[in-house]
Amino acid sequence: MIRFNNVTKTFSGKTTVHALRGIDLAIPAGEIFGVIGQSGAGKSTLLRCINMLERPDSGEIFVDGIRMSDLDGKELRAARKKTGMIFQHFNLLNSRTVFQNIAFPLELAGYSKKNILERVASLANLVGLTDKLKSYPRQLSGGQKQRVGIARALATQPKLLLCDEATSALDPETTTSVLNLLKTINERLKLTIVLITHEMAVIQQICDSVAVLDDGVVQEAGPVIDVFTRPKSEASQRMLRGFLTSGLTPDQLQRSGNTLLKLTFVDEKAHQPIISQMIRRHQIDANILFGSIDQMKTKPFGMLLVELAGKNEQIAQAIEFLQENQVEVEVLNR
Amino acid sequence: MINQAMLSMLWDATLDTLIMVGSGTILATVVGLPAGILLTTTAPNHILEQPLLHRALGGIVNIGRSIPFIILMVAIIPFTRKLVGTSIGTAAAIVPLTVAAIPFVARLVDGALKEVDAGVIEAAESMGASPPQIIYKVMIPEALPALVLAVTLTAVNLIGYSAMAGSIGGGGLGDLAIRYGYQRFRGDIMLITVIILVILVQGIQMLGDKIAHKLYHHN
Repeated sequence: MIRFNNVTKTFSGKTTVHALRGIDLAIPAGEIFGVIGQSGAGKSTLLRCINMLERPDSGEIFVDGIRMSDLDGKELRAARKKTGMIFQHFNLLNSRTVFQNIAFPLELAGYSKKNILERVASLANLVGLTDKLKSYPRQLSGGQKQRVGIARALATQPKLLLCDEATSALDPETTTSVLNLLKTINERLKLTIVLITHEMAVIQQICDSVAVLDDGVVQEAGPVIDVFTRPKSEASQRMLRGFLTSGLTPDQLQRSGNTLLKLTFVDEKAHQPIISQMIRRHQIDANILFGSIDQMKTKPFGMLLVELAGKNEQIAQAIEFLQENQVEVEVLNR
Repeated sequence: MINQAMLSMLWDATLDTLIMVGSGTILATVVGLPAGILLTTTAPNHILEQPLLHRALGGIVNIGRSIPFIILMVAIIPFTRKLVGTSIGTAAAIVPLTVAAIPFVARLVDGALKEVDAGVIEAAESMGASPPQIIYKVMIPEALPALVLAVTLTAVNLIGYSAMAGSIGGGGLGDLAIRYGYQRFRGDIMLITVIILVILVQGIQMLGDKIAHKLYHHN
């Protein structure tokens, strides 16, 4: 659906910012694809390059086979009508009612009054705002505003939806409901969704694949379950550390000089008594500091933070044993 | 003291002031609004980015705004004469009033349009809106309350300017106040003209506020 070939973008001003330094990325059709990174990582620029709100300095971007950087003026506007976009701060027109906001892209696309009426009604139904059509944005909650944003983005029946930190301004409960709506839309309309976020939880809840962006480079990309359970890049490990230990840092977790391990189990491994086997076989002490069983979209996985006490060689053997049993081991304090 | 003739003079002067201010405001808006739109949209990173044009326009507006009205009025007398055939009277006063108000309107419009959330403009761009569509369907409607207040402020300002225009034979309340109130020591006429001016300013401001409030749907 979308392909980035060595895309670069630099902003020069008082200080020069290399937002994107050679992005190569393929986003398959029909997926919910997440791009995660800290602020300043270049996510926002990456997303805006897809519909040319930002023009890359070099490299190419294909959307549905069309080389976007070739487009200009009229052609570009036509291509943009096939791509929906939603925003962190919703960006609704305050002077227009909900109905008029959803109708806006339809007006731009030259729909007839009658078609607009029908289309807005069905969209309002899809996002659950049928009773708010006459309200103005200021009368809506954040979640409702984002639903208007989604309805507006879907108005012209795009194949692609770009989400720019779409839930970052919402509370956790509203975030979940908006994410569920996006999931429904993705399944029902066979829509490809690209979302950028700095929140691991967003990726975890709805994404099929994820790309980790750091310092203008894609550090790694792949199915969420792989990246989250076996992060290869330093950047992903750094981001995941905080996420999977519910905000506790290794420093906070560690009280002794013992070895601190993060163990990750996927699928059926979560059900086997691997820890007790390890303790018995290698004669070490294990202290479980934190554990969780979570779900990556649909796949379950477990995570344990374990402190090991014993002789160094026993600990080394224990780690080997865990790895032999397909448990992902990360030593947090070496 | 205040006889029938005086009253009718006051009435005529009020009408003259309203005509001058009304025409000046309308004409200045007709020219100043597009100028203001151009000023905003040609700015760096805006939808019609044109740095040179932007700087030139900004320069012209600043020069226009820095010339004191009383000097501008005298300076453009030849131009006024060419345009209306005379430099005296209500019709002639409309010319300098308009010329003085155009850069004022342009700057106020620019200020109002700059307040339109860049995110909303970006959203419209993402939907494939063309620059004219963004101007007419996004920027102007979103800034409408502020634009109404800008026109209101212009009208109020022109009331003050029109009194100055009166001092060089422009007609209206300022003219009356100077000729009767000041030169003939008619304190009562002076007082009445001032009261009428205050009422006009109040009335225009209240009307503007009311319309702006009706149009306001922001937070």
